[in-house]
Amino acid sequence: MAEYWGVKVEDIFNTMKDRFRPEGAKDVDAVFGYDIAGEGKWKLTVKNNAMTLEKADQLSGCIATMSADGETFVGVNTGKVDATNAFMSGKFKVEGDMGAFGKTGKLFRKFVLAKKEMTTKEYLADMFATIVPRFKAREAEGLEASFGFDLGGPDGGKWTVFIKDKVCTVTETIEGKPTVTLEFNDARDYVDFILGKIDAQSILAAGKASAKGDINMMASKWPILFEKYKDPMAGAVQEQELLVLKKTISLNEKFSTGPIMGKFLKGLKEKKIFANRCPECGRLQLPPREVCAECRVRAGEFVEVGPKGEVRYMDVVYYAMPDPLTGVARETPYGSIFIRLDGCKGNETLPHFIRKDQIEKIQRGWNEKKGTRVRPVWEEKRIGDIWDIKYFEIDE
Amino acid sequence: MGKRLAVCAVAQIKNHPDYHDWRFQNMLLECFEPIVEETKVTFDMDKGIRTIITCSDDMFDARTISDNGITDVVGAHFRGEEKMAQESINGLGYAMACILSGHDDVILFMGHCKESQGESRRMISNLAYDPFYCRPLGMDYHNVDALQARAYMEKSKVTDEHLAKVVVRSRANGKKNPYGRENKIVSEKDVLNSPMYSDPLREMHIYPVTDWAYGMLLCSEKRAKEFTKKPVWITGYGSCMDRYFLGDRDIASNFSLKNAAKRAYAMAGIKDPRKDVQVFELSDQAAYQLPMWAEGVGIAEEGRGGQWIDDGGMERFNVNLSGGQLNGNPLLLGGAARALECYYQLSGQAGKRQVKGAKRAVAQAATGGAGQHQAVIVMEA
Amino acid sequence: MAHQKKNRNVGIIGIGQTKHSSHREDVNQPELIHEAVSLALKDANLTMKDIDCVVHGNMELFEMVHSPDLWHVLGTGAYGKDSIRITTGGTVGATLSCASDNLVASGMYDIVMAIGFEKLQEGHTTGGITNMACPLWFRKIQAGALTGSSAYDVEREFGLERADRASLMYRIIMDKHASLNPNAHRAFGLDFSQIDDLIRTSPKLVGELKLIEMCSQSDGACCVIYACEKKAKELSKIPVWIRDHITVHKEENFTIFGYDRKYPVLKTHKFAAEQLFKRNGINDPLNYFDVFEMYDPATWWAIDWIRDFFNLQGDEHLRLIEEKEIMIGGKMPINPSGGVIGSNPIGATALVRVAEAALQVRGNAGPHQIPTPVNHALASGFGGTMWTVMTMLEKELNW
Repeated sequence: MAEYWGVKVEDIFNTMKDRFRPEGAKDVDAVFGYDIAGEGKWKLTVKNNAMTLEKADQLSGCIATMSADGETFVGVNTGKVDATNAFMSGKFKVEGDMGAFGKTGKLFRKFVLAKKEMTTKEYLADMFATIVPRFKAREAEGLEASFGFDLGGPDGGKWTVFIKDKVCTVTETIEGKPTVTLEFNDARDYVDFILGKIDAQSILAAGKASAKGDINMMASKWPILFEKYKDPMAGAVQEQELLVLKKTISLNEKFSTGPIMGKFLKGLKEKKIFANRCPECGRLQLPPREVCAECRVRAGEFVEVGPKGEVRYMDVVYYAMPDPLTGVARETPYGSIFIRLDGCKGNETLPHFIRKDQIEKIQRGWNEKKGTRVRPVWEEKRIGDIWDIKYFEIDE
Repeated sequence: MGKRLAVCAVAQIKNHPDYHDWRFQNMLLECFEPIVEETKVTFDMDKGIRTIITCSDDMFDARTISDNGITDVVGAHFRGEEKMAQESINGLGYAMACILSGHDDVILFMGHCKESQGESRRMISNLAYDPFYCRPLGMDYHNVDALQARAYMEKSKVTDEHLAKVVVRSRANGKKNPYGRENKIVSEKDVLNSPMYSDPLREMHIYPVTDWAYGMLLCSEKRAKEFTKKPVWITGYGSCMDRYFLGDRDIASNFSLKNAAKRAYAMAGIKDPRKDVQVFELSDQAAYQLPMWAEGVGIAEEGRGGQWIDDGGMERFNVNLSGGQLNGNPLLLGGAARALECYYQLSGQAGKRQVKGAKRAVAQAATGGAGQHQAVIVMEA
Repeated sequence: MAHQKKNRNVGIIGIGQTKHSSHREDVNQPELIHEAVSLALKDANLTMKDIDCVVHGNMELFEMVHSPDLWHVLGTGAYGKDSIRITTGGTVGATLSCASDNLVASGMYDIVMAIGFEKLQEGHTTGGITNMACPLWFRKIQAGALTGSSAYDVEREFGLERADRASLMYRIIMDKHASLNPNAHRAFGLDFSQIDDLIRTSPKLVGELKLIEMCSQSDGACCVIYACEKKAKELSKIPVWIRDHITVHKEENFTIFGYDRKYPVLKTHKFAAEQLFKRNGINDPLNYFDVFEMYDPATWWAIDWIRDFFNLQGDEHLRLIEEKEIMIGGKMPINPSGGVIGSNPIGATALVRVAEAALQVRGNAGPHQIPTPVNHALASGFGGTMWTVMTMLEKELNW
């Protein structure tokens, strides 16, 4: 299996159960498909606030299926690839109910690559394994010495470093009588010392280590003889955790309708639709307005129009915006229509919705050609609101 | 083009606690029609109004792009419209720039606000503060003003009794103003007994919730006579922004107002406001602001606001004969209300409040808690 | 014509913009603004001491901060200075430019700094836009800022296939431009060979409007410094002169289409262009201007407005696109910056159009610079209920 940024496609799926958020699955009851090119297909079933995942041969019965190549899939899940960019440029596609698939975003906690950390044992092994490569032979002209390392604790060990005839060797015991021997109670302190986390003074003063032999020679010569040890873990910067303050700011409002809009809304209560007429240009405005903006005069008399009319334009909406306060989005697709009610002319249209199951049958008007004729379907209980009209339906 | 802006006509509705029968469009229409009728101004692309400046606030209106709802009513259909999203007084400065630049020669300036529409104007001004520190602390314009009041009152020896005087006077003057909000006439004792709202400010020290709308027709010097026999001139404008964090400011220092006034006076050629100006309209959202802004515009000595009140400074300098903002104007429209009063005074239309022989007037208003941003205009008959 | 002669000339002497992105969690609002302000000051070789007035604008309901210029003083540097805040919705950036031009031309200020910004990720963009509609009725039934009506119009007039291809052609050209602009938000590296595939696979949002054809939502800030003629000439080797600007708004209702030839709907774009060009004596805008930074919220509107702005007939506008004349190096390069489709920090976007047009006039825009000399530039802004703001920029003071 291929790895992208150190992560396999499998890793993402294998950790889904651990990363699952039941609170995100509250109103989800669906089967989602994942088709990762060259890697396989998976089916994710979410029901009753729980999930099951299985590898599959085919993805029938899925409400939505996401397809992508391995790199994009891993990239999007680890944050290495911007999801929006990938989607927009077609790197991952969603077939089926996109709105439903959007809900999968809330189902899982983000996949985080486990941070590797080296243990004391690993550091020691690495430090002593690199002694010979770090040895600068030309600095050892005429030098013959050996350095013993007796590092205690559960992760400790013993090493001797020999330098003779400009050659350096290392053994994993204390051999012979080293010129200098360093003894550490705990090997971890040695590691920290080499990594620069603590200095020699502090260690010796605290009694954490002791030295036998010509320590001054070692102190002065060792840094010249060997290149400084480079921490393989350095440069792996810890990602800063972003604190997020989430607050929904909402302020109750008391909107006044004023007499003009008020009459329109009141009319709806009585199953009447009112427009008002401009005394100068004669155009009707629907809903009625205080002025005719073109003539800049107070709009005049009210005129009852409709209730039936023809559809001049319809927008089929596939992607519904969620309501900012409730998070609820209208079920898609829905048809947003502009109706020219009887009595109106030209572009004097009223926006509303068409009955969901009739979207396909609607013909839009164009010039003299008339659009589908529709009539309003009223609520039983009306309160003086645009929703007193539930929707419009074909007038047959 | 000259260096001054003509105010040709103004219109307003009465300041009111709650226009629940009207929406903004209705309120503005009442201001639009009289101006058009009085001046016979048209919206002709060559000879008429091509640019409208509006003033309103998205949060008070609870409407994104709050000017989009009233475009029709202010005649902005197929004309330019720009919204002043700051105190209305800055709209006058901006209108001045539009006209002096030559880009426009006639401008309609209209504003509206309904403080009664939202459940709490304090929640709105709380949102002016940063979401991380000041806002969660609960700062809003009222309690920040209270902090400033405490500092100022101590510095300038202004007492609870002085504030009571200011409030009583503001309501008495407001009563003489046909457009003033109708408030209960109170005595100094009533004010002193008014419950503490945000120490040291009492409930009666703070301007009451108000709905209002206004309109003004402004134009270049050259064309003023086409619209009115008695134009009033705006000859100076200056504004100034102070720092944001209260701890960064010396909130009793009047830093921004002094600078704004200095710039406005320089532009208008005012050497000494005490001698050169006869009428002062200061936007006092809270009672302590009257003496404080008086110091800032140079009619009360620095640090002697209390004494200034005792010596009758408010009467001597004809301060807030309209009732001031303290009597009731919506938050961002105080400046326009002040300018309208100055207009009436300078054109001899101030009725019972008229200052005889008023030749020059100064209007001031602030945006933000503790007057962070201040602006001053100078008007001349 | 009542339009007066400008009191004095105004030139742009400093431009700064942040890289527009959807992830600026690393800065708060004043810090984001400060980035743009610092860049502009550096570009102009000025300090805040030299600025007389700061003009600020954005759409406050997007970030839910009231009177944001008060908090933003931490980043705008307006302390101690005159400052003005103007907003007009999507056009606000362009309005800031017009306002700055007015303020300097009036003689009231010599050097003015305009700052537009938006941090959409901090708020709820859809909520903000939905809130634009009348709360009494339209807010309950509207679909945000999306409509397929412009796509429908173009398709009815020119046929589904040609229209769809032109739309994608336009989109890919914008993407290619955005790829050259280091500050652009989104550049996917699209190629013309993908047109058919994208037409088929890009998900439909509303009607024929597809996801790929809509603009992004970005965070970003833009800062432009304007100076009077005297100072502009002293302080800058290449001031870009503001020749004129026009703002045209429209009534509140949303009947933006006209499917009845007896009742055509006049668009503010056409009107604005007509008025602006007439009063400046320009009869052939297509040949006059060397570049056009157009506010294109969606490809379909862009297609339609090219015809409106340049007063073209028949299918001339489609051919400009199909023949790639709108590309850098073409006859009428449009949005060498990648346009609004490439980056859309709403409060700054329209100002970015002016800034990018000015960069082109200067000749040092960067990799997306037009290779031929740019003497006359045009920038447009869009917002509200189909409002338009247009600005004309010139290299020489010779009109």
